[in-house]
Amino acid sequence: MPRALGPLAGLLLVLGVAAALGWAPPDAVQGHVQRIMYLHVPAILTAYVAILVVLVASVAYLRSRRPGWDHLAAASAELAVCFIGLAIATGSIWGKPTWGTWWTWDARLTSTALLFVIYLGYLLLRSVVEDPERAATYAAVVGILGALDVPIIHFSVQWWRTLHQPATVLRPQAPTMDPTMLAVLLLNVVAFLGVFAYLAGRRYRLLTLAAGAAGRS
Amino acid sequence: MSHWGFVLAAYALAAVVLVGYWRWVERGLRALEDRAPSRW
Repeated sequence: MPRALGPLAGLLLVLGVAAALGWAPPDAVQGHVQRIMYLHVPAILTAYVAILVVLVASVAYLRSRRPGWDHLAAASAELAVCFIGLAIATGSIWGKPTWGTWWTWDARLTSTALLFVIYLGYLLLRSVVEDPERAATYAAVVGILGALDVPIIHFSVQWWRTLHQPATVLRPQAPTMDPTMLAVLLLNVVAFLGVFAYLAGRRYRLLTLAAGAAGRS
Repeated sequence: MSHWGFVLAAYALAAVVLVGYWRWVERGLRALEDRAPSRW
């Protein structure tokens, strides 16, 4: 992992937050509370990327049985839980003043909550199965099956009537967002992905060192 | 509508989660690297 990645990701995050709270204009309808979007959307997009890494690393582990793939999947799954949790929490904080409720059992929210529970279960499974190879195998299967929920979440706003708005960025047509808002959003997406890459790299190293210390690297 | 309190709560929560996770990982790394400096 490049040494500069951590400071670079940190710098981008500081710039992204400053732009989100200062430079980006307030929304014409929602006002300043819409600034939560610059956290909420990058958090869920980063979670999707983290789950993609879990999926690829889990398949690679089942094929090769190399512990490195398992460590990468575990590191990414942990961060996926963090970012899904952040997306749910920031969405809830955004929902109260705009929808009038902290939570509703809407298709997008419910399928996202399910994703959170699946990967929380993934982490729990790793901690309760004592044999590391069996834990890695079971976790890989859960990691692969859990990823099937991501397209359900993405298309839930089209398949069902939901309170949540349709896709703004990840859609076939070009985004209709104000260019300044879009630039700030993209800056924060890049910053979040940088933070994910850095933290996943550090967690991967920790898992590798821990396995080495336990004599199973 | 202003709702700056909701905005700041969301950003503060994100900071606590990300900084907390980062510190937890770094603490674990330091503990392992201090324990076996000759191997790594």
